[in-house]
Amino acid sequence: EAGVGGFYQNKKTFFSFFFILVCDPADVISTVEFNQTGEFLATGDKGGRVVIFQREPQGEYNVYSTFQSHEPEFDYLKSLEIEERINKIRWLPLHNPAHFLLATNDKTIKLWKVSERDKRAEGYNLRDEEGRLKDLSTVTTLQVPVLRPMDLLVEASPRRVFANAHAYHINSISVNSDCETYLSADDLRINLWNLNITDRSFNIVDLKPENMEDLSEVITVAEFHPHHCHLLAFSSSTGTTRLCDMRASALCDQHAKLFEEAADPSHRSFFSEIVSSVSDVKFSHSGRYLLTRDYLTVKVWDLNMENKPVETYQVHDYLRTKLCSLYESDCIFDKFECAWNGTDSVIMTGAYNNYFRMFDRASLRDVTLEASREVCKRRAVLQPRRVCVGKKQKETDVSVDSLDFRKKILHTAWHPKENIIAIAASNNLYIFQDRLTPNGHHNTPEIQSAPPKWQTQPNPPTY
Amino acid sequence: MEYKVEAHRIMSISLGKIYNSRVQRGGIKLHKNLLVSLVLRSARQVYLSDYYSGACLNAQSEREGNEWDITDSEREKFPPSATECDRVESTEEPQPNEQPEKEREYRENDDEVKSDQVDCTSTLQEQNQNSSLDSVAKVSSETPPESITEPKESPSDSAVAERDSTPEANGESHQPPKPYVCSNRKRSAEESESGDSPQKRTKVASSNAKEDEEAEEMDTSNVSNLITIFGSSFSGLLSKESAKPEAEAEDSGQICCDQMLKNLNPWSTAIVAF
Repeated sequence: EAGVGGFYQNKKTFFSFFFILVCDPADVISTVEFNQTGEFLATGDKGGRVVIFQREPQGEYNVYSTFQSHEPEFDYLKSLEIEERINKIRWLPLHNPAHFLLATNDKTIKLWKVSERDKRAEGYNLRDEEGRLKDLSTVTTLQVPVLRPMDLLVEASPRRVFANAHAYHINSISVNSDCETYLSADDLRINLWNLNITDRSFNIVDLKPENMEDLSEVITVAEFHPHHCHLLAFSSSTGTTRLCDMRASALCDQHAKLFEEAADPSHRSFFSEIVSSVSDVKFSHSGRYLLTRDYLTVKVWDLNMENKPVETYQVHDYLRTKLCSLYESDCIFDKFECAWNGTDSVIMTGAYNNYFRMFDRASLRDVTLEASREVCKRRAVLQPRRVCVGKKQKETDVSVDSLDFRKKILHTAWHPKENIIAIAASNNLYIFQDRLTPNGHHNTPEIQSAPPKWQTQPNPPTY
Repeated sequence: MEYKVEAHRIMSISLGKIYNSRVQRGGIKLHKNLLVSLVLRSARQVYLSDYYSGACLNAQSEREGNEWDITDSEREKFPPSATECDRVESTEEPQPNEQPEKEREYRENDDEVKSDQVDCTSTLQEQNQNSSLDSVAKVSSETPPESITEPKESPSDSAVAERDSTPEANGESHQPPKPYVCSNRKRSAEESESGDSPQKRTKVASSNAKEDEEAEEMDTSNVSNLITIFGSSFSGLLSKESAKPEAEAEDSGQICCDQMLKNLNPWSTAIVAF
């Protein structure tokens, strides 16, 4: 089912979206990631599965491959169960007919190879077509097996398993621009790996104090700079983001830069620390800026200025007076991700009630959109949403008190080049696409008459 | 003082979260527990700020690395049980209302998502009430030293006015204090109710404490307090059985939570250290 969404502000379209709703009823989606070209979109879920979508020539995304990446494990030493939930997926930028991605749960990172097979060898001498051994007395001539086309088969196979390097829960992985190394970060440490070596990793950041009683902060996210292979950024629960230069020393506990904004004393409450904890960090595509997300805001930092962000956007400031009840319900611990568009001109992040927000940096316009089945119906037009604190000014306004905090959009991704976004809402994936014509003008929104089909799971590949 | 009620409530909620985290699938989440322990510490500071005559709350929170000193000086400033019980018992009326919440949190620890859902829906109903509490908490934590007494009065008054209008049972806090029951006596009554099990639980808990690298910090009296508070949680943790009925833990938690305040720091850091 598809429909066209659009909205107008001052009679100019911001984005007009049509969507493809792909239902994955099995499990809550825990990560979403486009590859470097945007041709593939990978999702990981709470059940340890990875589902990869491929963009068709017509522009829609269809399921390409599904495989079980991680299984639940048990740590006998600590008497702890290790969840199979996929925390992060990162694609490798290899130029190869096959595709490679890293997928990680709390403890183990795996490198998966996803390849296509469309030919099959036929005419073996010793085996028949079904694979059974031939009776040798019947073999009178020799033949050379030939390759014949077959139905496309997508196979996923684990090529590397990077295990036993993290005592705490892994929250991030990031592939270096050198395409040889990658980092993995847990609550207290960041390790550097070579993609080809699984039995060794280098510890480059260690925040674990001598005495755990003195623990004051944990690492929340870490990411490599998109161009400089020696630079990495990591954010912490105290609301700071550090830039580290691996050339300075082997252990990067001393940061090269520290991005921190002085807390606003008028906002001081019991929950100030929680609210300031950074839940996501993303370098801009240009490498010039950093995007950080904390509970209530999303901030753009210039790498050259550490003492305050250059831009701050309020995601849902109306929640500031509700922090106590959000604490009780654990919602205050929700970790929202953020994303840049391909040209670094628009920022996107999720919120509650299946809303997600976009901020245009140049015009300072923002929009709230909703990703839900009720809204995204055939022939339905996507309308911008507005949350009101007091009395409703319009019929379509939504009161703060009627927001559904169980419906949260934590994971969002933006196509690296085009205006295509992937939104994960619980176990549903929504893909929105901008109807931009080749000459650069936006179409007026139109209702699609032939909706794409529901996507069901393909035959599971062998691996 | 209404802000003390709020601080006390936040502490109870925080302790519940720390307890829940021990039985959650996937192990203890360090990040979340650290944040909860920070909230616990802030709430505790606010809660105990009344005991500092002339001392400013902001100065307390800015003092670095002196958590332990504060704790010791608190102990010195007033006699152990009696006065404290007097002060805290008036705040115990709201506790019965919190028990359903705590019980809900205790029971729904198998599936995080599920517990979030239930708590969120109940949360929406309480939002109006909580927003008034929030503003009280905010004001109290940032009062400047000179005017420490006066601002606390007015937010309390306004909070009282708002509270009266809500039908929630928090109005009980305005009732005259119940006949005083010595906390010490009640706690020992709880322990004797449990019969043989405290023996077993002490042993179990101290081995736990050693694993947490806190053995030298926690003395056995603290441990036995905490065991009583969390009821069957220790034995439940090791035997991997579901938690026993929480009513017992709730009652003892209500009393001992206050006793725990001075001993809170070793415990909260023990949770974090693993």
